[in-house]
Amino acid sequence: MIEKGKISAFQMGVMMYPGILATAILTVPSITATYAKQDLWIAPIWACPIGLLIVLVFLQLHKHFPGKNIIQYSENILGRLIGKTLGIYYLFFFLHNSGFVIREYAEFIITSVLPKTPIVLVIVGMTLVSAFAVKGGVEVIARSALVFLPLFMFPLLLMGLMVLPEMEPRNMLPVMGNGIKPSLKGAFFPIEWYGDFIYMSFLLPFLKDEKGGKWGMISVMAITLTMVITNLTTIFVFGGSTTELLYPVMNVFRYISLADFFEHVESIVIAVWITGMFVKFSLIYYALVLGVAQWLNVSDYKSFVLPIGFLQVIFSIWVAPNFQQMGQFFTTAGSFYFPSIQIILPLFLLFVALIKKKYKDKSPKSSIVQ
Amino acid sequence: MIWTVFAITVGVVLLILFEWPKMKQNQKKEKAAFVTLTAMGWLLAILLVFFPDMPGPTQMIEKLFKPLGKLIE
Repeated sequence: MIEKGKISAFQMGVMMYPGILATAILTVPSITATYAKQDLWIAPIWACPIGLLIVLVFLQLHKHFPGKNIIQYSENILGRLIGKTLGIYYLFFFLHNSGFVIREYAEFIITSVLPKTPIVLVIVGMTLVSAFAVKGGVEVIARSALVFLPLFMFPLLLMGLMVLPEMEPRNMLPVMGNGIKPSLKGAFFPIEWYGDFIYMSFLLPFLKDEKGGKWGMISVMAITLTMVITNLTTIFVFGGSTTELLYPVMNVFRYISLADFFEHVESIVIAVWITGMFVKFSLIYYALVLGVAQWLNVSDYKSFVLPIGFLQVIFSIWVAPNFQQMGQFFTTAGSFYFPSIQIILPLFLLFVALIKKKYKDKSPKSSIVQ
Repeated sequence: MIWTVFAITVGVVLLILFEWPKMKQNQKKEKAAFVTLTAMGWLLAILLVFFPDMPGPTQMIEKLFKPLGKLIE
């Protein structure tokens, strides 16, 4: 086995939390709001069952192929040739996705704190830091996630409390004024982000205990709850103008002002946000590097870390000419592209695996061959 | 533009100098994959410097999924 580190199920749950939310909180509220309007906060609730479904699918696949991840068992399920093809499709997807993630991060940093810095510098900085974490292995990423989680959660928990004077709860009315459809349409975008639970497939084989399911579910619930709370706060503070804001949640932090003394909290929040981004990006980076090494059947992944990081930097610049086009992609083609790879393909894999197993159990010949 | 190419090349050379000595003699496959990945990266970077508007992976996916994307608009 390439990776010798072991993590606990709790650490896995902790990694997945910023692994979804770090970019979800930034980009999702404003694009969800364009469809869901004041029902912005209901959209994550619709998306939650899909998140649970993804966790369940990967748990089942993990049960059938213990110690293997999606790159490896796609070969077992579909045969060598198709499995390898699917593997490279997945690797390409991870590369593409990591390009999106780091671009979102870089655009956020550029627009909010470093407007005069070339974007490449921000991207390369983050990639280098993550490269060292990935070289350290899964344990290093898990432990850094554990250290950063309280920091990352703290502003999210306090956010509602601090802007209490600015809130206007009537903004959320009428609840489902135009029926159920707007919030269902809005749910497409949280689903895109829940799909990132696919990276759990790379963590499950390294678990020390068997509580992966429990902590995966708790992670989905915690993410949903956080999204609902942040979306509610955004709606309470901004109402209908949420759609016009690029980063609504960050703008809420800008509104915090206690006793004319406690202000500019957003600068702290942005600093803390970088830690969450680091965990998310390291996770995807790690999955990609490990996947490439396993796809090639080599014994060590460490030498691939930097070349792949270099490719990620290039992809982050190549994915979209600007942030607006990226948002455009997420709302149109992306809302089918991400779920098709992260949800439908794994479901299909599980389906084929189950049929194969049933067939094997029935015919005694194949069991003798085994 | 020539300086960007120069900077990219220097970066790639540094990357190779950093990683190459760490690989062992018998890791033939690793070395081949490492060289391929780095060369791919270098080539793509240079291409993007000269043709920044080169259609990328996102445009490809967009073409494939556009009919579906219109459904929710």
